[in-house]
Amino acid sequence: MTDSIFAYAGQILRVDLSSGKTWTEPFEAEDRRKWIGGTGLGAKILWKEVPPEAGWDHPENRLVMATGPLAGLPVWGTGGLTVVTRGALTNGATNTQANGFFGANLKCCGFDAIVIQGQSPEWVYLHVHSDGVELRDASSLLGKDTWQTQQALEEVTALNGHNLSVYSIGPAGENLVRFAAIQGDYGHVASKNGCGAVMGKKKLKAVAIERGKKGIAAAHPRALYAAADEIAHNLKTDASTRGLYLFGTLGGVRNLYGMGALPIRNYTTNVWPEDVDTKKWEGKNLREGFDHRGHQCSACGMHHCHMLVIGSGRHKGEVVDEPEYEGWSGAGWAIGATEPSEVAWLNDRLDRACVDVNEFGWLCGWVMECQQKGYLSDKDLGFRLEWGDVEGANRLLQMIYRREGLGDLLAEGVKRAAEKLGGEAADCAIYTEIGNTPRGHDHRSRWEEMLDTCTGSGGTLDTAPPVQPTEFGLPARIEPQDPEAVPKQVGVLRGRRTFEDSLGACAFTTRVSMHVLCRSVEAATGWDFRMEEAIRNGRRTAALLRAFNLRCGIGPELEKPSKRYCSTPVNGPVAGVSISDHWEKMLDIWYETVGYDRKTGRPTPETLRSLELEEVIESLWGAEVKT
Amino acid sequence: MKVLKIIPDRCTGCMRCDLACSYEQTGTFQPSKSVIRISSFEGHTSYAPYTCLQCDEAWCLTACPVEAIGISPVGAKVVADDICVGCKLCTIACPYGTMFYDIDTHKAVKCDLCGGKPACVEVCPTEAIVYEDAEQADWVGPFAAERTKAPAGPLAGVS
Amino acid sequence: MARHVIIGAGTAGWNAITTLRELDKGGSEIILVSEEAPYSRMVLPYYLAQSIGESHVYTASSSRLAELKVETRIGQRAEQIDSAAKKLVLEGGGEIEYDNLLIATGSSPLKAPVPGADGDNVHSFWTLSQAQTVTAGLRKEARVAVIGAGFISFTILNALVNRGAILTVVELESRILPRMVDETGATIVEKWLAERGVVVRTATKLSAIEDKNGAKLLKFENGPDLEADLVIMATGIRPNIEWTRSSGIEINSGILVDDHCRTNIPNIFAAGDIAEGPDIVTGRKAVHAIEPTAMLHGRIAAANMAGDDTAFAGSLLMNIVDVLDLEIASFGAWDDPEAEAFEAVQPDRPAFRKLLFRGGRVVGAVILGKTRDIWTTNDVGMLKGLVYTGVDLSDWKDHLRHNPFDVKRAFLAAGTAGQLLSKTVLGRPSVPAGEIAISS
Repeated sequence: MTDSIFAYAGQILRVDLSSGKTWTEPFEAEDRRKWIGGTGLGAKILWKEVPPEAGWDHPENRLVMATGPLAGLPVWGTGGLTVVTRGALTNGATNTQANGFFGANLKCCGFDAIVIQGQSPEWVYLHVHSDGVELRDASSLLGKDTWQTQQALEEVTALNGHNLSVYSIGPAGENLVRFAAIQGDYGHVASKNGCGAVMGKKKLKAVAIERGKKGIAAAHPRALYAAADEIAHNLKTDASTRGLYLFGTLGGVRNLYGMGALPIRNYTTNVWPEDVDTKKWEGKNLREGFDHRGHQCSACGMHHCHMLVIGSGRHKGEVVDEPEYEGWSGAGWAIGATEPSEVAWLNDRLDRACVDVNEFGWLCGWVMECQQKGYLSDKDLGFRLEWGDVEGANRLLQMIYRREGLGDLLAEGVKRAAEKLGGEAADCAIYTEIGNTPRGHDHRSRWEEMLDTCTGSGGTLDTAPPVQPTEFGLPARIEPQDPEAVPKQVGVLRGRRTFEDSLGACAFTTRVSMHVLCRSVEAATGWDFRMEEAIRNGRRTAALLRAFNLRCGIGPELEKPSKRYCSTPVNGPVAGVSISDHWEKMLDIWYETVGYDRKTGRPTPETLRSLELEEVIESLWGAEVKT
Repeated sequence: MKVLKIIPDRCTGCMRCDLACSYEQTGTFQPSKSVIRISSFEGHTSYAPYTCLQCDEAWCLTACPVEAIGISPVGAKVVADDICVGCKLCTIACPYGTMFYDIDTHKAVKCDLCGGKPACVEVCPTEAIVYEDAEQADWVGPFAAERTKAPAGPLAGVS
Repeated sequence: MARHVIIGAGTAGWNAITTLRELDKGGSEIILVSEEAPYSRMVLPYYLAQSIGESHVYTASSSRLAELKVETRIGQRAEQIDSAAKKLVLEGGGEIEYDNLLIATGSSPLKAPVPGADGDNVHSFWTLSQAQTVTAGLRKEARVAVIGAGFISFTILNALVNRGAILTVVELESRILPRMVDETGATIVEKWLAERGVVVRTATKLSAIEDKNGAKLLKFENGPDLEADLVIMATGIRPNIEWTRSSGIEINSGILVDDHCRTNIPNIFAAGDIAEGPDIVTGRKAVHAIEPTAMLHGRIAAANMAGDDTAFAGSLLMNIVDVLDLEIASFGAWDDPEAEAFEAVQPDRPAFRKLLFRGGRVVGAVILGKTRDIWTTNDVGMLKGLVYTGVDLSDWKDHLRHNPFDVKRAFLAAGTAGQLLSKTVLGRPSVPAGEIAISS
């Protein structure tokens, strides 16, 4: 490592849990520019190191915990953690993000990423500090939830606050629940595609990273401050992000309800029950009734992440992390729970047991519906679970993470459980054929996201909602159910989110002009870095993740929603409007836009060449298509 | 005199002040070199930054055997690097715990109010640190007391 | 115009001079009697390390003293005090009349009382001239034996290692730093030193130093002989009180002073290593012989000499030293056998904490850890603050018993900073010595 490395630590920490060995390798300049970090770096490692026969639970699977060039710098929301692995739900690529202080702390310890391979014979946790790395006995941590785990490690190390960042699995990950997540720093969750199960399979309970003692240099520090100020200003003042700045994602409930995208009771309705006090569910009102306290990620000025002290009800006085919109929906609306304090409490249980809140919401909502409709008896389940029963949902959660009774099947995730149960029950389940589930939305009114969820390669959306689409030559707004504009938009924007996910930054604080974002990268790294390169970079990574999935046998035949997922809403703003009639056509347009082959699902050789992925061409298309 | 007034209720623990402070000290973002430090209370629910109060009868200044500590035009007690020998007497003299030692430069380091434009104030997104005329005060103490009624915080015992 | 006579130009004497001038702006006569020019003993190790030049060692040049209107008798020794006549008698004749007298003649090093202790290449490292001798005579890869493993010897270990010396430290007692850390702490330090090539021999009594082929041969009552090119004696110090015995001033281990740094004779004050004054923790009188106490005494004595009525609550015993980037500091009654001791070590790194409680207050503390770790916390100074204020930590006691490392939150929540704001020494803004205004 030389002094001239800007924005990076320049080293990758490698850990082989089978042998207990740790070592470092350089994160070379060429790779830094080509893959940036985060998802890009993870994709490169997956492609290079995880062969098709090494499934999610194979020792050769890699668990990449990476950060990126902006982490630990004064740009808002840059404590970034990206988890890339072969996940337990799809058995394909996983790209999932969390924040807190992981990335900032890791870089100050001298690493840009941790790549974990092998399987430990005994439960361990990884302790990283400036002077070294140790695998330590984790037997005393077993069975602890994620918050307890962090507390226990704070005691062991005598560190508190952000002097120690801990990402861990809860009992769900220990018991290989297929939608187990990795949670850290009290409330930040890398939740998708069962990354927690991968960690559990490796018998790695936690990764604890001290706030290291090394420095991160920026190439142009004053320019970086200026870019950071501009990003902050945009977030505060732009109409598209101001609500986010003030209330995080809390505004989502009302906003999405208005467009028919709030998922209520497992997609059985789009109208909220009459007895619900809908005023309570306005963004700012969701902060009422709680003593809410800022709990921001590294260098962040958003009024987003908070801790709550529950102010009333059965759980009065308990400290929980404020749910994201996804929590309000997954632990709330999707299962018919409508009392905020109860939803906040359940959301926290989910974070602690450590499962993906969305998958749980679809699973629990589905079980509730199956019970209501008689597809699943009280005996099958062991008790009666009604819509909105939060205590019952918590009981279900316990059954799942302990793999008790029906919980053992439910722990396999919505798709597998539904297929096992079959019949009419299966028809009610929300999932994609790849094996994942949507985030906490009713995508029947948000076609872009259903398309994105089904075609995504990372276990969730690849492209996500548009940010300043006019920078891409797209209209500022499209009709959410326009079967032509939607796939076009999703296709054109492809790469942007993947690029953001490579930066070590938060997807909310990067919701600003690409030009400003690129200026921050330029100031941090010293590269002459423009939007064109950023997009190409993101598309390169996205294409590589798709190539990885194709190599794992996950092809376009699986790119479709389950029956319920793409059903026609019976009421609400988009009642009677169906995506199914347009699905194939939408895929056609999307494939053409992104430059992938419609039949095989592969990025075309031309696309791969334009993304400087020549080495992938031969692998996907065979030797004859080299030129 | 203008002082760094800390309003801990506003602090969210984003640590941006210690990044910025470390940049002023070292030219890199290296929080271990910051001279403003953030404490957490009640588990992770409450945070507060803490730094030199620029006390009038300055323990560091009187303790220094080589007169390396002076008073800047804005009233900050400042260490002259070329005079400081790194003996650390100031670090045990200062009962506030706000005198530090830089292992790389072998010099004592402390808050110098950035010459009158404190970086921690500039970068704090929530105005939890402001620079204004005020009497020196124990800005953090009452908040810390309130948020540590049970020292380990309400997270303790939650299973 | 009052005449203040100050004997000794070390930390206590020099602080008295600057404080007097802060207060009276030149409105008194000051006569400084000192064998040596004013310099700081504290920085001699850095001179030995050659990280500073000799000029950096002096606290005041002759021109600076003249600016401060200080009349000097450098190179002269005080021989006797005639307190009835308010006269100081100098060695070799000469008398100075005084209104107020400050005795700040410091202490002198002891050498182990063994044959050969006065031979060539056997030195103390205490005065500037001794430092000059050692500094000049130290060659790279010289075999250096340091006799005594206390604070003084530890202050020069870094310099010796950095100069390329091959070190052996010999300690009579069963552990190193016997007056700074306990057994647990000493074990950590000994391991740290051993890992860095410094040989430590504890419970080893030197019996003789002989000459052998131009080198020194150290003989011990127990253990093998040791060959060395240079021997440094750091076996303790004693106050330079002998010359005051006939003066009528009350003496115990040192010159007894009250909370005004005044002796039993009202216009005679004593300060620094020679003074036995109140200890803030125990309330009993003690000779601290440490730099911070010398500074404090000097300032308190001067304020009272200037006519103020300034008491102090006592001085706090404290030391800090780092050895090869391992930081060691202790405060107050760190070895109080009556106190409840809470201590903890870190499993993965050299880190040790000890807090001593009497009732709800901390009366002493030890902090030990890697230099790079220690300065990422505010703990060093905060430990002083806790002991110095004696703030009530009853609510935190159980927590600190469990985790003595977590002093910061206790410090803050106990409102220690607020207490400190009013617990000052002279109660007036400090003035950098270079900015003391002298009226013409």
